[in-house]
Amino acid sequence: MSAVAAPPMARPPKKKGPGFFGHPVVRAIISIAVFVGLWEVASRYSLPWIGQAPPPTKVVDAWVPLLTDQGYWYSWFQSSRRVLSGFLSAMIIGIPLGLAMATSRVFNDITFPVFEILRPVPPLAWVPAAIIFWPTQELSIGFVIFLGAIYTIMLNVIGGARSIDIRFFQAARSMGSSNWDIFRRIILPGVLPSIVVGCEVGIGITWNVVVAAEMISGGGGAIQSSAGGGLGFFIWNSYIGASYPLIVVGMISIGIAGYISSAIIRKLGILATPWLRAR
Amino acid sequence: MSAVLSQASQGNAHGGKGAIRIEHVDKVYEAKSGPVQAVSDCSLDIRAGEICMIVGPSGCGKTTLLNAIAGFHDITGGAIYLDGQMLCGPDRPKADPGPDRVVVFQNGALFPWKTNLENVAFGPVVQGKLSKAQAAEKARGLMADAGLAGVEHNYPGEVSSGMRRRVEIVRALMNDPKVLLLDEPFRALDQLTKSVMHEALLEIYYKNKVTIFFITHDLEEAIFLGHRVAIMTTRPCRPKKILEVDIPHPRDYAVLTSPRFRELMEETVSAVHEEAVKAFEAGEKEM
Amino acid sequence: MNPKIKPVGLARPRKELVELLRGTVLFSGLSPALIEKVADIAVLERAQKDAVLYRVDDPARDLYVVVAGQVNHAHGPATQARVLTKTMQPGDVFGWAALIKAPARRFATVTMLADTELLRISGAELMQALASDPEAARDVLARCAKMIVEDFTVPAWLAQVQDVPAGKGGSPMVQRQAAAGEIGAWEMFAYRLSKWAKSPTPYLMLVGFVLFFGAWYLLSEVFKVWRFASLPGPKTVLLEWFNPNPTYGMSLYTPDYYVHIWSSIRRVLYAFLISTGLGVPFGLFLGWSKNFREFTFPVFETLRPIPVLAWVPLAIVMFKGQESPVIFLTTLASFYATALNTMLGVQSIDESYPRAAACLGASKWQIFRHIVIPGALPFIFTGLQISVGVAWFSLVAGEMVSGEYGLGYLILASYVNVQYVVIIIGMVSVGVVGYVSSALVRLAGDYMMQWRVRELALGGGR
Repeated sequence: MSAVAAPPMARPPKKKGPGFFGHPVVRAIISIAVFVGLWEVASRYSLPWIGQAPPPTKVVDAWVPLLTDQGYWYSWFQSSRRVLSGFLSAMIIGIPLGLAMATSRVFNDITFPVFEILRPVPPLAWVPAAIIFWPTQELSIGFVIFLGAIYTIMLNVIGGARSIDIRFFQAARSMGSSNWDIFRRIILPGVLPSIVVGCEVGIGITWNVVVAAEMISGGGGAIQSSAGGGLGFFIWNSYIGASYPLIVVGMISIGIAGYISSAIIRKLGILATPWLRAR
Repeated sequence: MSAVLSQASQGNAHGGKGAIRIEHVDKVYEAKSGPVQAVSDCSLDIRAGEICMIVGPSGCGKTTLLNAIAGFHDITGGAIYLDGQMLCGPDRPKADPGPDRVVVFQNGALFPWKTNLENVAFGPVVQGKLSKAQAAEKARGLMADAGLAGVEHNYPGEVSSGMRRRVEIVRALMNDPKVLLLDEPFRALDQLTKSVMHEALLEIYYKNKVTIFFITHDLEEAIFLGHRVAIMTTRPCRPKKILEVDIPHPRDYAVLTSPRFRELMEETVSAVHEEAVKAFEAGEKEM
Repeated sequence: MNPKIKPVGLARPRKELVELLRGTVLFSGLSPALIEKVADIAVLERAQKDAVLYRVDDPARDLYVVVAGQVNHAHGPATQARVLTKTMQPGDVFGWAALIKAPARRFATVTMLADTELLRISGAELMQALASDPEAARDVLARCAKMIVEDFTVPAWLAQVQDVPAGKGGSPMVQRQAAAGEIGAWEMFAYRLSKWAKSPTPYLMLVGFVLFFGAWYLLSEVFKVWRFASLPGPKTVLLEWFNPNPTYGMSLYTPDYYVHIWSSIRRVLYAFLISTGLGVPFGLFLGWSKNFREFTFPVFETLRPIPVLAWVPLAIVMFKGQESPVIFLTTLASFYATALNTMLGVQSIDESYPRAAACLGASKWQIFRHIVIPGALPFIFTGLQISVGVAWFSLVAGEMVSGEYGLGYLILASYVNVQYVVIIIGMVSVGVVGYVSSALVRLAGDYMMQWRVRELALGGGR
């Protein structure tokens, strides 16, 4: 044993703190500030690519008056409404469909191949076909959104149901559960985390589709219609009207709306699966 | 027996003998619920070339000790010496990991994307000590010695878990380490494979005479393999009782039913049980 | 004696039984003389549908080979099997608990799914017959052990998809190789294919397709229900697609069709190469270096919520020409998918691997090269597959809005020019090309990660 005892310590020694510049939040702010700064500079000097975009200062200038413009907020509402309805319809149909495929071998064998051959067709390729088929513009946009989100949700549900540890079923059976009980108490909760993940991914796809559909059918390209509106339309319109800073305003607005919707889903997901938090 | 003893006194390629001295080591870490003292004033001397078994209930902090020796974590008090040289201490809270103290992990850490041979040859190649061809040559030899001829070109995922452990041990030994740090390496194996692995480990030990620091919660395993068994208290970790296992080496499975073995078990089982009960009641989650 | 099961003596020619025995995994390594010995002690029995051959915990005396019919083999609760119930087909061997030294008990319950013929072989007599050739006896027991491991520890997903059997099908050489674990990829594939063809799956699949295409056809071309009337039906589409002289100028025979396809493929190719070349290193660093991540991830994450397609007008403003905006959009979308998944891949690497490498003397860069990159590969390839899909998604949209040539453009233009059939042709073409590109990425991944393919096939892990 050494002659000198180490001084007793009850707490971890104060580590040299990471310093002001080591703190993650500070670093985040710095990097975003640098990015915005570079953007501004590039724009002022008309550098290629990012320099061709309107500078942040002009974007802010264009945005401020809009904050009190009713039309602007109405666009928010329209896009959000489409996202919500499309997404909900995808969930209402996709979740039961996925569960049916995961639980019934026969159903899976009949329907899954058909879905698989339709899947590689990107949702937006369906737009013209949807417009031909559905009587109203809204319904066709809704249909395309539905297609966009449903695959993600379905695949996640199937994957989630299949990955439920078989021992849960065995335990339930040995305790005398009926099929319906097992479905309600084992399969549904077991699938919930995957549904949540599917929804998080699905909502991103949904926003993409909504924006594109609004651009294409609201005035972009060759399809004219009265049922336009929404933030996608706003962006396209700004482009046509050569108000470039508004394009960026629209983009950032959609980004914010998308972020909020993802956050809501994540929160709902955490509420629905409290057991995952305890890990 | 004399050949074995003389080998022991020769030391090994690193020129030292692998004696570890743990002096008044503390480790406190920050958990969500506040600071947790994993190790407190722990002192232990491990002799060069001996098999030292560390026994304790789950979550008591024995892995923390191993991590400190290996250099994966820092310590918050005290010091650890290897052959007189400080690994970590007051000025240097974290040791550098290195090939003189190689770890064999609980769930196995053979690189799944390399073949068994490539895994074994990894150390010397990556240190620049041997060329790829030379390392492969040496690796083949060591693997054959350990009864692993024939699986050189398989991937770890293709062979049984017992074989994987053996490959991992050979991978460690390729580097002529002073100390082999084993963190419950046989925990995930079934009883039959485990007993075969015990004999395999002893065989390897008799050939290489490396110091072995072996963590386990299995008292039988500890007494069977070890020269000395250190029974640790539940968190915070500290040696509660050190047992000298005077059953002579070389040992084989017949030892398990010998009267001396039974006696040693009787001496220690109550101490271990006491700590296990404490850990259970404290609801310790494994670290 | 179960009245539903009775021996039927010479109901089958001996040659047939000998062939059958030789074709089983268990006996295929034996010499002809030994097989004859086994055939001598085997007793042919016939069992009625629903008869129970034995139950869990019954004493185990006999081994069985299925000659004709189908048998249900259901494990009892205490076994380690992941697949609890198997269906045994002709040529399958079961009941090998009889080979374990007494007292052996059954751990499964076996029921007949149809009227079945079985070869019953007494375990004790079998061992006696093999006693003359200890090598052969060892071989049989080794195969037994292998069958046990492979049959009942196959991961559930594999069993569901492939209905992996107890070792049957293919030539004796294939079975011997399978038993020795040396079976090659092609044999495995051919063998699985034959198994698949015998299960109900392909027929149900056919039912699904018939229902789908049938409904489409009937609704749009025959009964012309509601809005379906304006949609082109499958017959029209196929006729046009394969028409050497298409009404609307677009079919497999017109060069213009391939011009469009190639335009789209070319753009996706550029975008994919750029996004992979940038995304993978970026993702690797994001995962590996905390500093790098804290400085760059925030910008990455702030731009991410903006849907890629919202960039379309800005892209047109920023980039000159027709091609660049579309390629930019596609690259952006792919980049996100690739970088994110790569980062997740690095973060998913178990911490023991870099630690083990450090113990073995590897420097930081060596760890990056030998551990981080291969370790992240599975996620990287998942990311690449996703990125290909996302690329097509964005490309089609981009082409619709601002393109000249390309499948997206084709689809939209056909709509505008009221050439509805071409819309469907365009959609199908995009689907096919998209699928093929995804499959190519997946194959590349399988090739680069041989170790993982083999590991998954053996149901292994750590």
